[in-house]
Amino acid sequence: MKVTFKILRQKLNFTPKFQSYTLDVNPSNTILECLNKIKWELDGSLTYRKNCRNTICGSCTMRINGRSALACKENIASELKNIDPPLGENPPEMIISPLNNLPVIKDLVVDMTNFWQDLETIEPYISTSSRNIPEKEFLQTPDQRKLLEQTGNCIMCGACYSDCNAKEVNPLFVGPHALAKSYRLVADSRDDDRENRLEKYDDQDSGVWGCTRCYLCNEVCPMDVAPLDQISKIKGAILAKKDLNSSRPIRHRKVLIDLVKQDGWIDERKFGVMVVGNYFRDVQGLLSIAPLGFRLLSSGKFPFHFQPSQGVKEVRSLISAVQKDHSVLNNIVVE
Amino acid sequence: MLRYAYFPGCVAQGACKELHLSTTAISQALGIELIELKKAACCGSGTYKEDSQLLEDTVNALNIALAESLNLPLLTHCSTWQGVIGHVDERLKDAQENNPDYLDKVNGFLVKENCSPYQGTTEVKHILWALVGDYGLEALKAKVIKPLTGLKCASFYGCYLLRTQKNLPFDNPLNPQSLESIFTAVGATPVYYQGRSKCCGWPLSSYATQQSFQMAGNNLLDAINNGADCIVTPCPLCHLNLDSRQPEVAKVIKEKLDIPILHLPQLVGLALGIKPQKLGLNHHVVSTQKILNKLAISNQ
Repeated sequence: MKVTFKILRQKLNFTPKFQSYTLDVNPSNTILECLNKIKWELDGSLTYRKNCRNTICGSCTMRINGRSALACKENIASELKNIDPPLGENPPEMIISPLNNLPVIKDLVVDMTNFWQDLETIEPYISTSSRNIPEKEFLQTPDQRKLLEQTGNCIMCGACYSDCNAKEVNPLFVGPHALAKSYRLVADSRDDDRENRLEKYDDQDSGVWGCTRCYLCNEVCPMDVAPLDQISKIKGAILAKKDLNSSRPIRHRKVLIDLVKQDGWIDERKFGVMVVGNYFRDVQGLLSIAPLGFRLLSSGKFPFHFQPSQGVKEVRSLISAVQKDHSVLNNIVVE
Repeated sequence: MLRYAYFPGCVAQGACKELHLSTTAISQALGIELIELKKAACCGSGTYKEDSQLLEDTVNALNIALAESLNLPLLTHCSTWQGVIGHVDERLKDAQENNPDYLDKVNGFLVKENCSPYQGTTEVKHILWALVGDYGLEALKAKVIKPLTGLKCASFYGCYLLRTQKNLPFDNPLNPQSLESIFTAVGATPVYYQGRSKCCGWPLSSYATQQSFQMAGNNLLDAINNGADCIVTPCPLCHLNLDSRQPEVAKVIKEKLDIPILHLPQLVGLALGIKPQKLGLNHHVVSTQKILNKLAISNQ
């Protein structure tokens, strides 16, 4: 079958532009095989990274039809499901572009320096005593090892980093790849720096609270590392040892649960005053949401009335029971 | 007649009452019966999970069990509720097969509080999916009194609707079409843009407002630059960040925006000939008047 590849091409000091190549392909061909065909038979100047061809090395990550993926993993047949059907007699069109959130060097090759630097900031090595050469091996139980399996599968391909909505607006955010690795270290029984790590990752710009929970990292990860799930586990470990006054992101989480215990669902007026206004203690915070309050008032959106859930009694005791049970668990494992 | 157990959710009972209003109005017009769950709890909007998975599963098992006891599917009009509770439902159904001890633990909490246990006998369904799947696009088309001809609608799906559940009934999360199929059914024109399946920034809005508003602004501008007259969302949390905070968003990105944000049931309601006031279109921060002008609908 015929397929057109519309590839965003770019070199230093030039405006990026799409170039189209139409190929005769087999539906089972991978995107990487198609790019190779273009490079070897049609246009030797097309530039992209590749190596293992087998979803192991993580080199050939690029944006394929609107999201980041490994060119060696995706094939024509699966991609046809991700694009609109072609108009008339035209061949289907695959749109290929370089990763987001990283500067382009040429065509589909990006400069990964920031990606590696962000990883470095979380100290991605098992710490201190374990770095010394031990007299004998560090032993782990199968259960301790099991905690590391999912994140251990990360191949640092950059797909999550490229599609991360938080990284797009916040250069300080270290990214999902680094935070998935952070969980791997926090959960590692051989690491002796857990408390310091949790302090470090408890940061609203660079750390876990910078994540906007868009789920794109989970969606695009080719290895099912589920970075967002790992970020949530770190948040859980931080929340277990911090109180309301620690920071606004922490207060946001604690207040939400407290309000549900109080009323069954959220009274948004209280939520604003308690989280942003820190129970009337943060005047600047209160002032920052005052314009929103006026706007809601003048548009008739302000919620003057609030009715608690009729199931509030059950909801309250349910949450208390789970919290009590979980606090016991939390002292044993991070998960 | 279609019947659903329905929980309006925190936001549609608070700062987005117009969503509850419009869902009720279109349900009446389409002959859909909603049985409101008065004893439901907040889904946690992704926050319970940060405390513990067990908390998210247990509180939402209670919500699902309320619908199960009525023997009805659980209807929502909130992408976040759908994503959170739909995912809990998937996980607990999976636990029935593969991790019965975990489900016993969840149900143990429920039974101890005299609540019905989770049984896995219903499904969680966003009103978008109910319209596309249960009611049907052809039946919806047949009910259109006022085709929204010429109105260019940009969808804004909401992250949780697309990316939390393993299986979606209609949409490919990489190229969703269900909202666009509704736009076409009611006579409007879909506008495609990259931001339609991205994050609105709401989860950061209480503490990282600049980043949150930058995110919202990028998406709003993207929709405007692609010619949209309005954005239509099935998520009230997205609505809060895109509509109620739009003046602040515009300041952060230093652009004039002024694009109306409609809840999905409001758009459908207009096509069904329901008066704008009955859909709460007068309760928006960004005026919806230019949409009504374009459609030549009087604001009564």
